[in-house]
Parts: sequence; C-alpha cells; structure tokens
Amino acid sequence: MRRLSVLSALSLAALGGGLALTQGCSGGSSSGPAVEADGRADMLVIPWQSDIGQLTPGVSESAADGYIMQMINYPVVDAAFDCSLKKAPGIVTEWEWSEDGTVLAMTLRDDITFSDGHPLTAEDVEFTYDLVRDPVVASPRVSFVDRMVDGKDPLVIDDHHIEWHFTQAYDRDTQMSHASSVPIIPKHIMEGADRASLRGHDYSRNPMSTGPWKLAEHDPNVRIVMEPNENFTGPAEDRTKLKRVVFQIIPEYNTRLLKLQAGEVDLMESILVSDADALRENHPEINLVKRGYRSNDYVAWNLSNPLFQDVRVRRALAHGTNVDDIIGKLLTSSDGTAYARRSVGTITPELCGVHNDSITPLSYSQEEARRLFAEAGWTDSDGDGILDKDGEKFEFTLTTNTGNSRRAQSSVFIQSNLAEVGVKINIEQLESNTFFENLRLKDYEAALAGWSAGLFVDPSGLWHSDVVCAEGQEDCTPKKYEFNFTGFSNARADELIDQGLRTPIPEEAAPIWMELQQVIYDEQPYMFLWWQNEIVGVSDRFENTEIDLLSPYGHLQRWSVPADRVKY
Amino acid sequence: MANNGINASYLGAAQLVGLALSAVSTAAFGFMSTPTYIALALSFVVFLVLLQSANLLLYFLRKLVLAIPLLLGVCTLIFILIELSPGDISSKFFNPNVTPEVKALIEAKYGLDRPAIVRYGIMLKNIVMFDFGRSMSQERPVFEIIAEALPNTLLLSAVTLLIIFPTGILLGTVQGVKNGRPADTGISISSLFFYSMPSFWLALMLQLIFGTYLGLLPFSGPYDLNAFDQTGWQHFIDRCIHLILPGLAMGLASAAGTARYMRSSLLEVIRQDYIRTARAKGLPEGVVIRKHALRNALLPIITLMGLSLPFLFSGSVLVEQVFAWPGMGRTILLAIFEQDTPLIIACFFMFTLVVVAGNILADLAYALVDPRIKFD
Repeated sequence: MRRLSVLSALSLAALGGGLALTQGCSGGSSSGPAVEADGRADMLVIPWQSDIGQLTPGVSESAADGYIMQMINYPVVDAAFDCSLKKAPGIVTEWEWSEDGTVLAMTLRDDITFSDGHPLTAEDVEFTYDLVRDPVVASPRVSFVDRMVDGKDPLVIDDHHIEWHFTQAYDRDTQMSHASSVPIIPKHIMEGADRASLRGHDYSRNPMSTGPWKLAEHDPNVRIVMEPNENFTGPAEDRTKLKRVVFQIIPEYNTRLLKLQAGEVDLMESILVSDADALRENHPEINLVKRGYRSNDYVAWNLSNPLFQDVRVRRALAHGTNVDDIIGKLLTSSDGTAYARRSVGTITPELCGVHNDSITPLSYSQEEARRLFAEAGWTDSDGDGILDKDGEKFEFTLTTNTGNSRRAQSSVFIQSNLAEVGVKINIEQLESNTFFENLRLKDYEAALAGWSAGLFVDPSGLWHSDVVCAEGQEDCTPKKYEFNFTGFSNARADELIDQGLRTPIPEEAAPIWMELQQVIYDEQPYMFLWWQNEIVGVSDRFENTEIDLLSPYGHLQRWSVPADRVKY
Repeated sequence: MANNGINASYLGAAQLVGLALSAVSTAAFGFMSTPTYIALALSFVVFLVLLQSANLLLYFLRKLVLAIPLLLGVCTLIFILIELSPGDISSKFFNPNVTPEVKALIEAKYGLDRPAIVRYGIMLKNIVMFDFGRSMSQERPVFEIIAEALPNTLLLSAVTLLIIFPTGILLGTVQGVKNGRPADTGISISSLFFYSMPSFWLALMLQLIFGTYLGLLPFSGPYDLNAFDQTGWQHFIDRCIHLILPGLAMGLASAAGTARYMRSSLLEVIRQDYIRTARAKGLPEGVVIRKHALRNALLPIITLMGLSLPFLFSGSVLVEQVFAWPGMGRTILLAIFEQDTPLIIACFFMFTLVVVAGNILADLAYALVDPRIKFD
C-alpha cells in the first residue's frame, strides 16, 4: 500500500511542478523576435480544421492540399481575381492561341529548378499530364484532358516550348486553366513510380519544391511547417519575406477562435457573423476581411412533386419569404455590416462580367403570394389557416443537413414566413451524407442546401436537362453527375447552355449566360436565397496580404511584417 | 484477508507503474517510440508475475480466448453499420467539378465495387492476420496511424487516471474523516458540481478560464506548435503542461465520482469493530485512519480503476477534438467522417481490446479483493 501512496504523491507533485513551470516558461523562453541575416522575419500561424492528404500533383484532393501545393510549386500560370480570373506569367512566360482556338502555344521559363537542382522542362509538363490522363491513377482532374488530343497534351517542341492541341475550342479561360492548373511533377523522380499507388507515394511526404517555400515538417494531425526554399531559382521578387508559416491542426471552431483571440494564431478563416462583433470590439489588432461571394444557399423544389410543378406556386413561395429579413437577422453583424447579398442564380456576383445584375429579386409581398396561390387554385377554403386545393393541403417537408446552424435557423424563418400565407412546412434535418444522397436520388420534397460556385461558367451539370433521367427511362446514364436535383428541364435553357459552352471568347459568351440566368430565375426551380461573404480574421501586423476569392492567403511569399512589429 | 489486501495493492501499483512508465517514456521520447512499447510490455509481464498462481494465468487465458468472438462480433457489427450508411470513401468525388468516371475508378481501386460479402471476407482475413490494411483516406498503413495515435491516447488516459484516483481518494478520505462537518459538505457540493457538468462544457470552460482569461496553461495541441529549437527538457516540460487541461477535462468528473465512492466506503469501514479496537488501544487518530481504515476502504476503489478504462477511451473522442489532441478519439472521428472503412474497423478493434482488457482487470481485481470469488 505504501507504494501506491508514494506514487500518488509523486504524480501530484509532478502536476504542481508543471503548473509552476508554465509561468516560468511563458515569461522568457527564447531569444526573442529577430530579423534573420537573410532579411526574413516573423512567422505566420494559421489554424486548420483538418490535416493535408496528398501533396502529389494530380491526385491531391482537399483545399488544404491545394494551399500547400501553391506554396511549394511555382505556378504554371499565375492567377489573380478581378471580375474574372486574370492570368499572369508563372513558369509560362508567354502564350499564344491559334486562330481557331484549338492550339495553345506556351514558352516556359528556363530558370526554374526542382529542389534537387534538376531544371524543370517541357518533358516534366508532358509527364505530369500523362499521369493525369492515365485511368490507373484515377486523378480527380482527368476531365482536364477530355478535350485534348491524346499525345499532344502537350506536344513538346523543345525544352522550353510546348503546344496544347484541343479537339475543339471551348471557353478560353477554362481551356487555359485545364492546361495550366496541375502543378508539375518531376519526371526524373517519379518516372518509375507505381501509378496505381500514386496516392500514398512517398513523394507526398517529401515533395520536391520549385516554388518559394518548402515543406519543412509535417507532424500528422498536429502541424505543418513551411520554410523558405533555399534552392529557389525563380524571380528574386518571389523570395519569401517571412521566415516561416505554421499550419496548426485544430479541429474545433471554438478552439481556433480562442487561439485567435489569445494571439496564438494570426489568421482564421470562416469566422461566424455572430463572432465578428466581439472580435471587432475586443480585438482591434485583428482585421476582419471579406473574402467575397463564393457560396450560396437556396431552397430546391422537387419539380416531380405535383405541389411544385406550377411556376406560379414557386413564385408565390418566393414572394412569401422575407429573405432580406433573414439576411438582416442571421448574416448581418450588429454594426450593420451585411455578410451576404441576395442571390438570383448560381453564377457568383463576383464574376461581374457574367453575373446578370439586371435581375431584380422577387420582392417580399404576402399579398402577391396569396394572389399567385389563388391563381394556381390554392385557397384556404376550410378556414384552418392552411391553403388547400381539391381537398389536399399545401404541406411539405423542408429538409436540410445537420451541422450547419445557419441553414437550421433559416429553415425556421422560412417556415414561419410561409405559415403566414397558409403554407405548412415540416422541417427535417438529416446527416450530411444521407441528405446529399437523397438529393441525388431526388428523394425529397424541398431541400435547403448550397453551392460553392466555380470561377468558370459551366451551368450544364446543374441545369441541363441531359443530366435528368426521364421517368420510366430504363438505361439512364447521365452525361454528367445528377446535380440537377430539381429535375429542371427547359428547352431554351438547354439551348443557351450548349451555345455558351461552345463560345470560346468570354466576352461573347457573357450575353448568353445573362439570358440563361434570367430564364432560370423566371422559372424559380430554386428559391434563391443569398450569397455569403466569408469572414477572415488576420493580425494587423502583416503587410501585403492577399485575401480574396481565390485564396484566404494568396501569394504568401509577398506577405511581410515591418521590422518594429516582428513577433516571433 | 490481509494477504488479499496486499495482492490488491500490488495489482493497483503494477497498473500505475505500467501507466506511469508508458506516460513518462511517451512524453520523453515522442510518439511511436519503442520504449513506450517496451514499457507497456514490461508492465504486462510484471503484472503476470504478480498474478503468480497458475489458475489465475489459466483464467486469464480463457478470458482472452472468449474475447475473440466478441472482437469478431464487434467488427461485424461495425461493418454492417458502415454498409448501411449511405456513401463511401468515393463520395467526396461526387462534385460538379469531377466527372463520374473518377468516382468509379476510386471505387474500383478500393474494391468497393465488389459485393459486400467479399469485402467482409477480406476484412475478416485481415483481422485474423492482425493486418488492418491501408487507410483509404490517409493512404498509408492503418497500423502506422494507430501507432501514432494510440500512445497519445494512452498518455492522456494515464494522466487522467493520475488525476481521478489520487484526487478522488484524497477528497473522499477528507470527507469520510470530516463526516458531516463543513469540509465534507463543501467538498460534496463542489464534487456534485463537477460530476454533473457535461464534459464538453467543462472542456470549454477550462480553455476559457485557464487558457484565455488567466493565460496560465496551453489549451490545445500536444505541444507548443509555435515553438522551434526546444531542448529535450524544454520539450518534455512543454508536453507535460499540455496534458493538464485535457487531463482535467477528462478526469474531474470521475474524480468527483471517485470521491463519493471513497467517502461512503471509508464511512462504512470506520464503523467496523476493528477500528474501534484500534482506537481503544490508544493509537493516534491519524494512524487509525491511514493504517487501518484507509487500507480497507481503498479495495473497492481499485476495482473501479479497471472499470474506468473503457470510459477513458470513449471520453477521449470529445476531449481530443476540443483540445486538438492527436489521439484515437480524433482518429476515429476523422475515419467516420471520411468513411474510411479499414481505419474505422481497426479503431473499433482497438477500443474493444481496451474494453476487454479493462473487464479482465476488473474481474481479477474483484477476485483478488474478495476471496469468495474463485478462478475456475
């Protein structure tokens, strides 16, 4: 028994000791912040919800993988966003289109090398796309080469000149993106790799670097440390100014927020509107930046349900919902800053050359809603407060996914708004996988969901009737995924989509997309709600930050801290 | 009776030695270190030697054999549950930017296009071979992932045990001795307060109070993630202080519970004749409590230790998530979100093993404490 008590005493002493030591430790630990001999200073700390997966270009998947790969791979073509994607030279210094838009010639820089000193050449680009095309690899980007000529994707002219041959011309921005958005894999390292097990290849743990940063440390599920790539041979202005970037894996939102408030991390993405007020008041050192409208919420009406087949009914439902009020209550901070705007389609307003600004959202008007319901035959004939027609009540289930408080709260607002015009809504929350599976199978009545918009316009997956299986159709294999959840089918919309996708020059395609948005909005297959503006909080000691639609931390090599504000 | 008491205390001591060894070695040498496993194996051997008698060993082996169908049953049940839930690892490729063939290719790559019964067979074979295959979401051997996560959870559990039992026993003893006086009432109220607090809320409050307001203790991660170039000692101390808040979040409620047990157990013992005898022969009250009462009152608490292991593991799921602790709890959550079948199965296999081990330990402790229970 004595042993037990001695052990207990020891363990308590150890805990007590730990407590005392913390204060000692946090008081004066390291030598203090300093500007390094090479002029680099300070460190940027970013909390991430989850860890990276694959860093091998072509098989990487998550957004986190993409951010790390942007740091370690010099971009083939650099991008900035201003109303549309603007291309800037990267590894490719010049590019030229053939007259018919099916051949894209590129000139590559000759000073970019992999971190082992091996120069990056046209051979590596060819090898990279050969991997992407190989079905054994199962690359998520295999569709990039769909409309490229096999063997000429690209065609190597010499070490620094290549040509991409397309089977047809399509939207030029998309063509360019297909030819430039896979980071380059070093052929001399990966040539002999087993393609079937490219995911999980050791390269992912020790990736070669052509960019300003290198992966210095990866402690799985704990942290990722990026340090300057001392073998970087690219342009001098792309040398890093910070000496380190640390990504901490913190799964809990609240813990990330506490760390931001405590100054232990410098930048946090996806801050909830409800937390923005407190941050603004108590932490003036944290700048709150809006990233732009990238994701939306909508209510999809299942058009195979008799309840929603009349467009007057769908318009009445939209008139009966006070979307502005919901935005004011859920997506506006107390100082009046709105972090959302009403949506009129699935093309983000950030694509300002394409987004149809002339569409006025349907106004909130109970009178108009009642009028349209009555026109469609729905009246409250028995006086129970619920509309009815031929003995049937206007009642349906609005389904949404769990784990999204904004959608859960919105559904209640919609329910109470529409109850006032005689619509009975039952709310159902489903686990996300089940929810999306039901959407895919069109096994729902109405669904509150959302899209994260692409920066290229391709509405075919969402709105083309080709991807809808007609009732009773036996061997229905849609050309694309069945993302047309509502079963929307409109001849004019199909025509516009086909025409738009065949038009290479974006300026020429714009009017087509504008008309398409109007056609879809008039039909109201969705009740379009809003576009949310993501809030990013960032410490104000950083300069030259780039927080936009493309990335919450674009071009990290340009970020810097003035000498008198260096923290680490 | 006395002899059994000694055996029981040896057992408790062996358990603590093992856990403390693994805790110290894990903290000192980092994850995945061989010393951790050697320490665990050593404490197991010490434990077996302490058992001494052959029928105990037989009993132990029989329990182990009986655990096999249980393990298989759990794995089968989990497999069925995964099968019944919609989607699989390829679901993440259900995305407007990815063509359907990629999903098909991924399904083929992981054999998800094969009939469930075939995949079940493969899973059984893997379990029998003690090889859990490759994780689909992390694309590396499942064993490697578990070898990284398990020591972290064991370490946290060890610290939690060190918080639960010494604190609980100390408080319960004070309460028992000061029965009915303000100290007893005070501790009763505060332990009831902690006992009834939901652990996620306790975790958040600890983070808020000690981490943010007071700034005394680190509140996430296994070490200071912004620190570089730490010396061995600095790292060791850093790791130790990072254990305090998650340990408290996991242990406080149970410590409060243990205090309640300890109090009632001590009160029962204090009423016994031999305590009256001890007092009557003039022993100082301190000696009466320490040497006579406490020793006997501790027996049921030791049994409680073995039973608490499974709860430590299930509690870790939430606490590890909140404190960004890279252990089994987080691994299993991630695996479920990613629908990574091999990793889910392996995690539940390990959880079951721990539950089985906890039960065996509890059985043994019962038998050692109470001579009326026989191993045959």
